[in-house]
Amino acid sequence: MEAVTSLLAGFETALTPLNLLWALIGVTLGTLVGVLPGIGPALTVALLLPVTAKLPPVSAFIMFAGIYYGGMFGGSTTSILLNTPGESSSIITALEGNRMARKGRAAAALATAAIGSFVAGTIGTVLLTFAAPAIANVAVMIPPSAKFALIMLAFVTISATFGASPLRGLISLFFGLTIGLIGTDLQSGQARFTLGRPELLDGIEFVTVVIGLFAVGETLFVASRLRKDRASVIKLDGNASMTRDDWRRSWKPWLRGTALGFPFGAIPAGGAEIPTFLSYTLERRLSRHPEEFGRGAIEGVAGPEAANNASAAGVLVPLLTLGLPTSATAAILLAAFQQYGLQPGPLLFVTNGDLVWGLIASLYIGNVMLLALNLPLAPVWARLLLIPRPFLYAGILVFSTVGVYSLNNSVFDLVLLAIFGVIGYGMRRFDFPVTPAIIGVILGPVAESQFRTALQQSNGNPAIFLQSPLTVFILLTVLAALIVPPVLKARAARRV
Amino acid sequence: MSDSTVPPIPPAPAAPSARPGLSVPDLLVALGVVLLGALLLAGTLRIPFGINAVVGPRVFPLIVSVGTLLLGALLTVNVLRGGRAEPAAEEDTDPDAQPDLRQPGLILGGFLLGAALLQPLGFVIGTALMYFSVGFAFGERRAPLLAGVALAVALVTYVVFTRGLGLTLPPGILKGVL
Repeated sequence: MEAVTSLLAGFETALTPLNLLWALIGVTLGTLVGVLPGIGPALTVALLLPVTAKLPPVSAFIMFAGIYYGGMFGGSTTSILLNTPGESSSIITALEGNRMARKGRAAAALATAAIGSFVAGTIGTVLLTFAAPAIANVAVMIPPSAKFALIMLAFVTISATFGASPLRGLISLFFGLTIGLIGTDLQSGQARFTLGRPELLDGIEFVTVVIGLFAVGETLFVASRLRKDRASVIKLDGNASMTRDDWRRSWKPWLRGTALGFPFGAIPAGGAEIPTFLSYTLERRLSRHPEEFGRGAIEGVAGPEAANNASAAGVLVPLLTLGLPTSATAAILLAAFQQYGLQPGPLLFVTNGDLVWGLIASLYIGNVMLLALNLPLAPVWARLLLIPRPFLYAGILVFSTVGVYSLNNSVFDLVLLAIFGVIGYGMRRFDFPVTPAIIGVILGPVAESQFRTALQQSNGNPAIFLQSPLTVFILLTVLAALIVPPVLKARAARRV
Repeated sequence: MSDSTVPPIPPAPAAPSARPGLSVPDLLVALGVVLLGALLLAGTLRIPFGINAVVGPRVFPLIVSVGTLLLGALLTVNVLRGGRAEPAAEEDTDPDAQPDLRQPGLILGGFLLGAALLQPLGFVIGTALMYFSVGFAFGERRAPLLAGVALAVALVTYVVFTRGLGLTLPPGILKGVL
């Protein structure tokens, strides 16, 4: 098998002592930052970008792999012990896991989350190993018109289909697209929307947008309506561990959660929310103890947590093979690739095979490291939850400043950071989701370039978008994704 | 925003999403989106046509600006019909708390002041100032302790990033000492 040989070569890259060290630093930092309340995996990756700035690309991506999975592991600790999910896909873990913890079963909840994440992450990475090269082979033949249509599909599903309000999601997306327009047009060299500022000729760094909208926006918003009574952190004595009965009840949900999570991550219709909710519903149906659900059922942590991590591996399939991020975290990883002058897509496997396979190999390694870090060290991570809020948020802001300032050593970027922070505050206050804006900033320029390439091939005839059956099929799906949910909602509302 | 004289808002009724009446802040946001679309359109029309290009640099911005205008109009209609946004519920927020805009203002002020002093006084002092203002806004009142932690965090960050990771951060007045 070709994939196996490539993977072995990848392990050769990843298993050098120095790269193992970067992987270890990555998973440790990822868990460390991911555990902090208020920081989801997307922000974890964005905040830690400057740490990798001076590394060679292979080591940097090996470290990213660790940060990515580590951030996910850390999030479940926060959800279980503090009942505060860092992102919507952790809501279920918080729901059942925190109930378990309140009943004195924190150790078992943390263990089933960690082992389930390990199982799901490993199976997901195996699937990625074999699916990605196959898809990359097909993806080389996709015409620019279909690539443009695929990006439209990602736009619509991320902003309109799953959010509470499609309109607000789309406005957020268009805001991101607007930011993406700023700077010099690569094809014609025209400056666009730079307001005469030379600093804007290169466009706005995505890190500034991401950290501003997420970290600074969050800090400002929380400060404006701070909870006076402290949320209670549940004490954890000893390691995360499970009884024989816990194992018996956990292993099937792990596998079922993985089976749900991976495909949902892999299709360009984004999000880990759907598979985690599906997994939860499924486990509740299948359980012999349905009465325990909502009161701390271990299946309700095992299944969704596995689904969450399997989808994190699945997300890497469209990212690596098509250059299409389907979550905010993946969008930041894509931007990190671009910073190194690499364009993820089918050709990446050919042009930078050692990098891609080193990255995939380090996902396996990172998973093992995370298991080893999380079971015995769970009490250490749990202590991080006790950092007083004033010191925690102040620290987040200082790290944000380092990340943004070190890009160009420019104070102008810090002013932009403050502006995006205020916008991020407004988005939380007025219920606009942040993820579509991030996807818009990063994918907008790619969408424009595919759009123009497609039209250049047809000499400007827009019929090119109706000539390839694949393109037409994807565009029809986009249309359906825009129209069907509001229609269903209206019908449901009429029936009530 | 919130003076001590303002009486507390009574608890929200059972069906919070269907509160009647026009929300002025929501309307301003909706009109802001329309305004952004209009400004974008005006900016788009000032982009020169590309030469020798089938699709010039204007086409995509045109789509984005018209889209923004349309979405803004839809949101305006939605707000005029009584729609209003529910503020997000975050981990450390209290949804029933009276929003207090002085705290974010304090953070923002501290941040901009710190940013302005970053070059002349150096990274350590600039970010320590930012750290202090956030900590203070989040209710930490033991000022000497907060100042000490702020300086320590800034110093450690500076050393780790410049020595350990090779980034360049401005030393400012501590040049030579660090």
